[in-house]
Amino acid sequence: MSTKSIDLTLEIWRQKDSKSKGDFEKYSLENISTGMSFLEMLDVLNENLTGRGLDPVAFDHDCREGICGMCGAVINGIAHGPEPETTLCQLHMRHFNDGDILVIEPFRSRAFPIHKDLITDRSALDRIIQAGGYVSVNTGGTPDGNAIPIPSATAESAMDAAACIGCGACVASCPNGAAMLFTGAKISQLSLLPQGQPERKERAMAMVTTMDKEGFGNCTNERECEAVCPKRVSIANIARMNREFVKAALLG
Amino acid sequence: MELKPNVPEGPLAEKWDKHRFSSKLVNPANRRKHKIIVVGTGLAGASASATLAEQGYEVSTFCIQDSPRRAHSIAAQGGINAAKNYQNDGDSVQRLFYDTIKGGDFRSREANVYRLAQVSNNIIDQCVAQGVPFAREYGGTLANRSFGGAQVSRTFYARGQTGQQLLLGAYSALSRQIKAGNVSIHSRQEMMELVLVDGKARGIVTRNVITGKLETHAADAIILATGGYGNAYFLSTNAMASNVTAAWRAHKKGAGFANPCFVQIHPTCIPVHGSFQSKLTLMSESLRNDGRVWVPATPGDTRKPASIPEEERDYYLESKYPSFGNLVPRDVASRNAKEQCDAGKGVGTTNLAVYLDFADAIHRDGKETILKKYGNLFQMYEKITDSNPLYEPMMIYPAVHYTMGGLWVDYNLMTTIPGLFAIGECNFSDHGANRLGASALMQGLADGYFIIGTSIANYIGSTSLEEVSGDEPAFSDATCGVKDRIKALLNSSEGGPEGKLSVDEIHKELGLLLWDYCGMARNQEGLEKALSLLPQIQEKFWSRVYIPGTGDELNQSLERAGRLADFLEFAEIMILDALDREESCGCHLREESQTDENEAKRDDANFSHVAVWEYQGKGARPHLHREKLTFENVTPSQRSYK
Amino acid sequence: MACSGFLLILFLCSHAAGNATLFSSVALFQAYADMLHSHPLIVSMFSKGLLLVFIIHIVTGALLFLQNRRARSQGYKVQRRAVKNSQASATMIYSGLTILLFVLLHTYVVSFGNHKTIGETIVNLFSSFFVSIFYIVSFIGLAIHLSHGFWSMLQTFGINHPRYNSFIQRLSYLMPIFFLLIFGSIPLLFLFGTGQ
Repeated sequence: MSTKSIDLTLEIWRQKDSKSKGDFEKYSLENISTGMSFLEMLDVLNENLTGRGLDPVAFDHDCREGICGMCGAVINGIAHGPEPETTLCQLHMRHFNDGDILVIEPFRSRAFPIHKDLITDRSALDRIIQAGGYVSVNTGGTPDGNAIPIPSATAESAMDAAACIGCGACVASCPNGAAMLFTGAKISQLSLLPQGQPERKERAMAMVTTMDKEGFGNCTNERECEAVCPKRVSIANIARMNREFVKAALLG
Repeated sequence: MELKPNVPEGPLAEKWDKHRFSSKLVNPANRRKHKIIVVGTGLAGASASATLAEQGYEVSTFCIQDSPRRAHSIAAQGGINAAKNYQNDGDSVQRLFYDTIKGGDFRSREANVYRLAQVSNNIIDQCVAQGVPFAREYGGTLANRSFGGAQVSRTFYARGQTGQQLLLGAYSALSRQIKAGNVSIHSRQEMMELVLVDGKARGIVTRNVITGKLETHAADAIILATGGYGNAYFLSTNAMASNVTAAWRAHKKGAGFANPCFVQIHPTCIPVHGSFQSKLTLMSESLRNDGRVWVPATPGDTRKPASIPEEERDYYLESKYPSFGNLVPRDVASRNAKEQCDAGKGVGTTNLAVYLDFADAIHRDGKETILKKYGNLFQMYEKITDSNPLYEPMMIYPAVHYTMGGLWVDYNLMTTIPGLFAIGECNFSDHGANRLGASALMQGLADGYFIIGTSIANYIGSTSLEEVSGDEPAFSDATCGVKDRIKALLNSSEGGPEGKLSVDEIHKELGLLLWDYCGMARNQEGLEKALSLLPQIQEKFWSRVYIPGTGDELNQSLERAGRLADFLEFAEIMILDALDREESCGCHLREESQTDENEAKRDDANFSHVAVWEYQGKGARPHLHREKLTFENVTPSQRSYK
Repeated sequence: MACSGFLLILFLCSHAAGNATLFSSVALFQAYADMLHSHPLIVSMFSKGLLLVFIIHIVTGALLFLQNRRARSQGYKVQRRAVKNSQASATMIYSGLTILLFVLLHTYVVSFGNHKTIGETIVNLFSSFFVSIFYIVSFIGLAIHLSHGFWSMLQTFGINHPRYNSFIQRLSYLMPIFFLLIFGSIPLLFLFGTGQ
């Protein structure tokens, strides 16, 4: 792995708090190692700003391994940046060139109000799960893990859907600010597995209704969500959710 | 401070049953009158919150992230152990117990570990019932893989994302209880202080990280599920926000801190590649099932791995430990990697790496099979390093990963402060001096789903608890204390950044000190040096740290500074503990205490104890208590993986 | 959206079948039209039903457009798509409006124009170069609209299965091309004087 240094110009959305009006600020950064991750590049910027007595850029991040779903921003118009199947923390600077101008914007959706700079409030996604993204079992008294055989392929499909990290890039990239991929993934996972069957209809109805209530847009099948999803969650899950919803709505 | 382990009498296998029977219960109708605070929403915190809420308690749950789903348990890759013996390969509760206690180098409490092994099977059943998509065999039964430190296949997994799937399972159970109104969730809140009333834990002070507002919350019992302190080293596999603050606040209020020097260094991490590095990424230990670890046989060999012929490679783990080979426990694997690199055989640009090679496995099983098992790990590795393990061996190096030490708890998982419980990585209880792979998930969920409920009922049922509203002076005093502290943190920032240091600069300095002198191998001289250098870093922090902004707003620099301030204090007991434990055990290698073959040499006569530190006030040397470990069911043997 | 779209596709099929008689001769087309008009009940039911479906499609489309714009009230400074070839899906509202304009003009000319026979109207209409071009452009708009609309309809109905996806993919290209060929070749036919 060979690393080199590049110079960048950053245009970053700065917004003091949820009530303030934000705007873009321009920063130039020199000598960025291409071995850095995108967030490490932002760390360098922040150290730089701090050293100059300026307010560092607030951004969400935690595991920096691409699994917690905490980080995320829109880089030059693409959520999580240009590399497919990559969260921002796993995006490395070797994918950029010397002299690039990077416009960094927060995830935008009516359902994701901005707290500060690049930090948004994604709790609407939690409320969708709270509406029904679970199997109603209490702790204890569950049957043996092998009591119900599940075909390997079914478990794999459920896992494909369950891989969602809840980062919200699907919402951010959707021209309609829809959360169909997120919701569809959870509905899919549980409708595929035998454990999810008893509450299948109620779950689909409740989660879809909550999704609408939270102010997310509708799906017009633009496929942007799938294209930016760091975990390659497929829109087949949206189709499955539609089936589940129609079945639940028509057949009750 | 009095250490009462409260381990029930009787034969090992019956202790947990007996204990459940003798524990007090709380009438279901009365449970809703009792409020429980849970801090943290990892596997332990989320499962405890959900379970206690299901049982009928009023639960308030706090997490630092924007959603309870993001706690760092999510990053665990490899799997979760359980003594199901589905593979019919001779596994049993007894064997899981034995492996865990042996893996921990006989520095954990028999009764706790046995209970862990007993409830391990329930965890799998619970998770399957929640819809966790564990890997399955073609016949539809659950699949297992083997893991370091065990000779049976008992690890359940969901691709390389087992932690994520288990956490999402617990999160879904928690979400259900939030919806039902039994749990109130407080996200983006950081616990700043513990509040004691009449010597019992009765509340916490939190800071809303979005608004900077301080809040007080009162309860009948408080459960800390706040994870480990690996970030003391700055570079670790922990998430950026992982910290010791909650545990340290509790410690300063009287909770004993056990075995702080027991820090696990994970052997398979992606090597450090630059000073800008913010964290280290772990590659699941499961990779060692099929990957072969090697270095060039001659020091200083800089050829590409592919051009080093077979006979000029040193598969040091296989040759040194023929029966376990590449699957030796983590501490052994880590130490050997360091040894090879110290001998000049390290590879990569920094010479601080060894190869983990899949060529043989690919040749044997085919690309497809290997990709099916490790595809996402390979992808992750390639993303970070730009090199594909299918064609080039991975480069790995040990990194700080897990902390076996933590708040001292009794058999009920209660700390030395009545009403304050610690579960998951936050406590010290089950892993001794070294944790086996796939056991952290097991412990987190065992504590949360199956143990803490009994403890809480027993505590509430047997304790007279006065009504506490949160208006008592103890709460306002604690809040004032937190305010003063924030003020003190911001104090040195007046007058601008000139000549000041950033939080990270000081944190890196602390990290380096700990890594150099209190890392993989420790000796008296180094530890004493670290102890003498530490106050300088502390002084530097309080006099020269620059934190932009104020305390009344979203201020990530301030958050980090608060955590670093606690790490700086905490580091002292870490070093003291390492200094006091003049033996090698598990991950704690004192260079003075080695066998002739350079293996860790335990000293059971003098150190078969849990070291528990008691805070004595600012500037005073902490006091050491010892909980004697007795082994009635296993005979501590010198660990040998040869 | 998908349901009304589905009905409109059915209508397109029947319309295309009817129009295909023009490939034989204007007389046959005239006979077909006369036959339809000899059942006034069918004509009125169909035309009113069609109007209703159209209105539903347009109203839901417009509502969707507005709702979705509200859900993403603030756009990005840099507008880029992660999906390649997303022009059709990104321009549904515009291709839809083109079709609406066409439908309005087409029904006006055909139904409310000067009261010659439909056959004569057609012959007259396509003798104009500009009208023919307008028709062809509209049909291209229709094809673009369908290329996303048809697949999108199936996805909304939940029809997405790895076994059939490549077939659906091909169909969502072929179907609009089919309609474009049928409808588009009619003005061409007359423009080059081969229609009679």
